Amino acid sequence: MKVTNRLSRRALTVGLSASALIAGAATLPGAAFAADYPTKPIELIVPYAAGGGTDLVARAFADAAKKHLPQPIGVVNKTGGGGAVGLTEIMAARPDGYKIGMGTVEITLLPHMGVARFTVDDFTPIARLNAEPSAITVKADAPWKTFEEFLDNAKANPGKVRIGNSGTGAIWHLAAEALADRTGTTFNHVPFDGANPAVTSLLGGHIEAVSVSPAEVSSQLAAGQLRMLAVMADQRQKAFPDVPTLKEKGIDLSVATWRGIVVPKKTPAAVVETLRTASKAAAEDQSFRDQLAKMNLTWAYADGPEFGQVMQKDNAFFKGMMTKLGMAK
Amino acid sequence: MHELDLLMGGFATLASNPLALLLALVGVALGIVIGALPGLTATMGVAILLPFTFGMDPVSGLLMISGVFFGGVYGGSVTAILLRIPGTPAAAATAMDGFELTRKGMAGVALGTATLSSFLGGTASIIVLIFMAPILAGFALEFSAPESFALAVFGLSIIASISGRSVIKGLIAGFLGLLIATVGMDPMDGFPRFTGGYTELFNVPFIPVMIGLFAAAEAFKTLEDPKVRLGMAAALGRILPDWPTYRRMLGTVARSSGLGIVIGIIPGAGADIAAYVAYNEAKRFSRTPENYGKGELAGVAACEAGANGCTGGALLTMLTLGIPGDAVTAVMLGALTLQGLQPGPLLLKDHADLVFTLFAGMLFCYVAMLVIGLGSLRFMGRVLQMPKSVLTPVILVLCIVGTYAINNSLFDIGIMLAAGVAGYFMQKWDFPASPVVLALIMGPMAEANFRRALSLSGGSYDFLYTRPITVVLLSVAILTLLLPLVKRWRAHRMESRRPGATSPQNQA
Repeated sequence: MKVTNRLSRRALTVGLSASALIAGAATLPGAAFAADYPTKPIELIVPYAAGGGTDLVARAFADAAKKHLPQPIGVVNKTGGGGAVGLTEIMAARPDGYKIGMGTVEITLLPHMGVARFTVDDFTPIARLNAEPSAITVKADAPWKTFEEFLDNAKANPGKVRIGNSGTGAIWHLAAEALADRTGTTFNHVPFDGANPAVTSLLGGHIEAVSVSPAEVSSQLAAGQLRMLAVMADQRQKAFPDVPTLKEKGIDLSVATWRGIVVPKKTPAAVVETLRTASKAAAEDQSFRDQLAKMNLTWAYADGPEFGQVMQKDNAFFKGMMTKLGMAK
Repeated sequence: MHELDLLMGGFATLASNPLALLLALVGVALGIVIGALPGLTATMGVAILLPFTFGMDPVSGLLMISGVFFGGVYGGSVTAILLRIPGTPAAAATAMDGFELTRKGMAGVALGTATLSSFLGGTASIIVLIFMAPILAGFALEFSAPESFALAVFGLSIIASISGRSVIKGLIAGFLGLLIATVGMDPMDGFPRFTGGYTELFNVPFIPVMIGLFAAAEAFKTLEDPKVRLGMAAALGRILPDWPTYRRMLGTVARSSGLGIVIGIIPGAGADIAAYVAYNEAKRFSRTPENYGKGELAGVAACEAGANGCTGGALLTMLTLGIPGDAVTAVMLGALTLQGLQPGPLLLKDHADLVFTLFAGMLFCYVAMLVIGLGSLRFMGRVLQMPKSVLTPVILVLCIVGTYAINNSLFDIGIMLAAGVAGYFMQKWDFPASPVVLALIMGPMAEANFRRALSLSGGSYDFLYTRPITVVLLSVAILTLLLPLVKRWRAHRMESRRPGATSPQNQA
């Protein structure tokens, strides 16, 4: 009952938007078959390697979307350039809805570094699926029990506290830089080749803290080897209710990575509408939520327009940060 | 022996789960095929298989993935030995002596030795994983940037011993590799270097270069020979090496397995580095080092035992610390998490039964690999009897498809073909290809970790001589570089002394 209801509603939306587009169809050959989109399998471009976090979200989504779209979604990994290769491919795809992409926070980072041909405005957001905040984590036997103690120490020893991140210009580096900027401290930022090596280095006592997401340190937190001092989110994390947010500590700073479905800018409205409806249904599917939870990933569905606001806000924030750091080109 | 009881329990559980055993078998067979095809690596195999294991019970799913991992590491050696197509970066080391053996008509024994050594190295590493995991886990944490830098420098010093006939040409090839390795995103500051505006060049296209230098170059070379068949040993000959021959290699296999395990434990170092280091040490300890590079069975044994020794080491760090040391174990960590097992210090405590069932299954996987490997070698060896007019195009197609599969990128195919042409001329002018591959693996590792170490120390160079592991590794690196020179100098002096009577200096 529910399914048919949803189906017919979708058919209606599609039908209405399609009829609205009929006038344009005469001039735009691409829009002519938007009415019965999708008639063939959809390709979902993932800008990162198979098996990684972004890939797992994409595959779980493709799986859940089977029930809500008449055609299957196939995942294709296009790696390289810290995500630039895959994101460029999504941007440059024919805007017919048969090549959609997994957009990540790098959409709002790479353009400012002068290493991408796209900007945030080249994409139409469909749905945000997942988001992970930055968190400050130290070793369990570190002398700092609270975030205040950690910050006091950093202020007393400028440039001495080493914070590991997942690479220069990557999201966790900017999170730590933003923290330094807001609190007037100087850290020694040490880039690693991804979040895992940074955590290894922290466990070995070679650095003082990491700024990676809670999910990336959860097993070491559970074992009591590491201690999370604060998360850079608006609200406390469900999995870590005891860890305060920076906002509670009087620092107005939230930095998070996100992953979601995007399409090229010129995609017809009817196709966008179909994808939004299907994505919403797939994201709210219990199987998708369960799959994310199993992988320690935070479910954070946001509909297209709302997702777009997040993208614009992050884009402005990171542009400012990178200009200040001298990284922007 | 608490662990032994648990392991026996694991075997018992496994025996009552025939589906898991069957899936492990399928995994190993798939892994061997994936490993043998150029471009398709164990990492990719594991990642592709991952979604299929979602619905399986944890033991079946994880054993199938382990099977692909183990088979993938071994499978690369088959094509490396028969056709000089290294399916994986580690197999590029195996190809050095393996393909020379094939040329001599000893392909069968080379394959058999590789299979047996892979089995022994892998099994030894799993046994270490079972009994010594908690003790060795701490070792991984000792490794920080200075240690990784020293390991990479040691790795680079190996160029001296894999250069073949001319050390100078080897060094030229090595420096060429280092130059190529500087292309791409700067590892510390994130600026693109020498990319010419191509985003595809942000990461060093390492595997396409390797496939080009070895496989495509070899295919190009066969094109100039008018003979229809390769003419390399119509029959494979015996497959298992006779016992006295293999017994002499047991020391090498044991040493190589040990090195493989240690290198596997170190975060960021994997089977490729292990294979080269094991080869280098086998040559160093050999009584006939001059045979290496000209078809030495022990060289094949060392590479394979080292590469497969890595598997248990890499699993050890991932399972006990919850930190993957390389790309394969990173995907496996995802697989474990999805099955509700959180790798990390608590895993062995909370899920001992399940983990030891897995360990038992991993031992089974290696036995399966031995049986499948030995059983299929005769069949795979047939490839040598194929007419060249069929084989060469097939190899080139495999190179192209394999390269495309890595990143789904046409750009990479261009790089592979360019490397193939370069590799063809390198062969013609007697420049070895292995130093290029080694430099491509070690160069970025050395650079990133040296600069990271400086960042960690606040700009002080003290880490070069204050950290014990770093000092040892750097010293060994210097020794490795100088030893061949010292030996040559002494040999030279001996020679000038022997006919001494006529030499004026000796009369004085």
